[in-house]
Amino acid sequence: MRSISSGFSLLGAAVIWVALLGPVITLIGRMSPGDLWAALTGPGNLDPLLTSVESGGVTLGVLICVCTPLAWMLARGRLPFPRVWEAGILCALLLPPLVIGLLLVFMVGPYTWIGSILSWLHQSATNTFLALVIAEVYESAPYYVLGAQAAFASVDTSLEQQAGLLGDRPSRVFRRITLPLAAPGLAMSLAVAWARAIGAFGAVVIIAYHPFGIPMQIFTTLQETGLYTALPYALVLLVVALPLPLAAYVWSARAERRRRG
Amino acid sequence: MLNVDAEADRRDFTVRAALDVADGERVALFGPSGAGKTTVLEVIAGLVAPGRGRVELGGRVLTSTGTAAGTAAPTVAVPPWLRRVGLLRQDPGLFPHLSVRANLTYARSSSAGGRAGGTELAEIASSLGIDGLLAAMPARLSGGQRHRVALGRLLLAHCDALLFDEPFASLDAALRRSLTALVKDLSSQRSVPSVLVTHQLSDAQAFADRLLVMDRGAILQAGAPDEVVLRPASRRVAELVGYLGFVPVTWSDGGGSGVGGSGLTAVGEAGVVAGVHPDRVVPGADPVRGLVVTGTVTAARPSGAGWEADVSVGDAAFTCRLPSRPLGAELSVTVLDPPYFGRAGTLLAPDINARYE
Repeated sequence: MRSISSGFSLLGAAVIWVALLGPVITLIGRMSPGDLWAALTGPGNLDPLLTSVESGGVTLGVLICVCTPLAWMLARGRLPFPRVWEAGILCALLLPPLVIGLLLVFMVGPYTWIGSILSWLHQSATNTFLALVIAEVYESAPYYVLGAQAAFASVDTSLEQQAGLLGDRPSRVFRRITLPLAAPGLAMSLAVAWARAIGAFGAVVIIAYHPFGIPMQIFTTLQETGLYTALPYALVLLVVALPLPLAAYVWSARAERRRRG
Repeated sequence: MLNVDAEADRRDFTVRAALDVADGERVALFGPSGAGKTTVLEVIAGLVAPGRGRVELGGRVLTSTGTAAGTAAPTVAVPPWLRRVGLLRQDPGLFPHLSVRANLTYARSSSAGGRAGGTELAEIASSLGIDGLLAAMPARLSGGQRHRVALGRLLLAHCDALLFDEPFASLDAALRRSLTALVKDLSSQRSVPSVLVTHQLSDAQAFADRLLVMDRGAILQAGAPDEVVLRPASRRVAELVGYLGFVPVTWSDGGGSGVGGSGLTAVGEAGVVAGVHPDRVVPGADPVRGLVVTGTVTAARPSGAGWEADVSVGDAAFTCRLPSRPLGAELSVTVLDPPYFGRAGTLLAPDINARYE
């Protein structure tokens, strides 16, 4: 009886897994290596890929520098009215990306005070690389903050306290205890944020139509030459976006195994 | 020398601690759960800021609220990482991402400046029986091994005071006994003040030179471990150190027993009770050795190598341990040199025994 039950469970899990992977399987099934090669080697075809990788990299840098301290403070209850802060992050998470893009125009567009300051600095937050990074940051930050908050919260504060009693200043405790213990969770959060940033489209299409990243390339190709010619770029997006999450997953699993000895 | 005179507010009461621990001295803070014992350690370690008070260690002022003892001393709050105070809790708190060796030598590169050399590491690891585990990760260790590593880490940090917060409470009795003995030896070798917090009287007695009994934030009695148990300062202390019954007594001028059976009639007038510790009872009536009590056995059960019996004496009751199963409903026992408490619950003068026995 028990083996029948576990058989059904396994079958159910397999069906769900295959269903979730269905689009990827379809994509790979419809592509030949020649299509992929052609998509990558056409004149100017690598530019969207480079733009996406560059903007994604800058976005991750911004998230690490700005959102990591926020996540740590949220996890350690260092902020007054923590529910208000969390609600703000949830709002950013719940807003549809398209709406975020619209609102960003009203926030950092050329006729706003932020836009004026940027103009004075000979910068613009619309249709520029900066605009692309801003849109990607807004789309990915909530995922990173919430994941990083959970990662920091999983670190036992008594260990930090013990390290302090053994002579470590708070900054050293963070470096020697908090960060290594939260690292697997942080890596996974960063991987999710990377996937969100590099695939960002909703906000991007409003505020950063140019320069083209891969999602915009897929959209314009779809509009101009049809579904089939857009597919190779989808595969490129997958190939570019996937290694970091996979590496983070493998590294987290190895770190966990090492801890278990 | 560790000097503490501090008050820290808790939700339901204020913890008031005043204790001096000399270098090499071992003090046990004993009391029930929630008595405020851990708060005292946390005040010493700098993890809790006292509302009022002063903590000094080896002449260094670690905490001073500026109002201690009516002085106008400047406010001082040395952070935990500069105090050089080691704290071992029930959870050994090993860093799970570091090997045993890295855990042991953690303090070496810390700002506190641990002086652990390779030789010392080897010596301590050997004395703790963990020299074969240096490459292992904490997750692979047993409970006892984890505590040994945590203890080694504490010793290698060369702290100026050692604090133990029920460190072995989760371990079995035999392991707890051996680790307590180990801690006792190592604390003595270091010649630093050591404070153990525990709610196990046996652990406190095994460890300490001096026992402090604490309840609801107040230190009720301080003294040698045997003295506190044999002569508890109050009925409450007696309850905490294991007295499981208080039988009313009345003054018997003739020197015989004053309790049991018809003797209870005078209880209301005197209001004096004798504390009965289950381990301080011998079967049979022997008025020369102590207070003879006769009562009715209401329950008996095996306890260790002997028996434990609940005995009622009129409205009062007590529990005692006997070498064999009590025969019959009526039981006469002799309570060896019991403490007597007056109506207010305080210990009557020791010479009062002569009046009641």
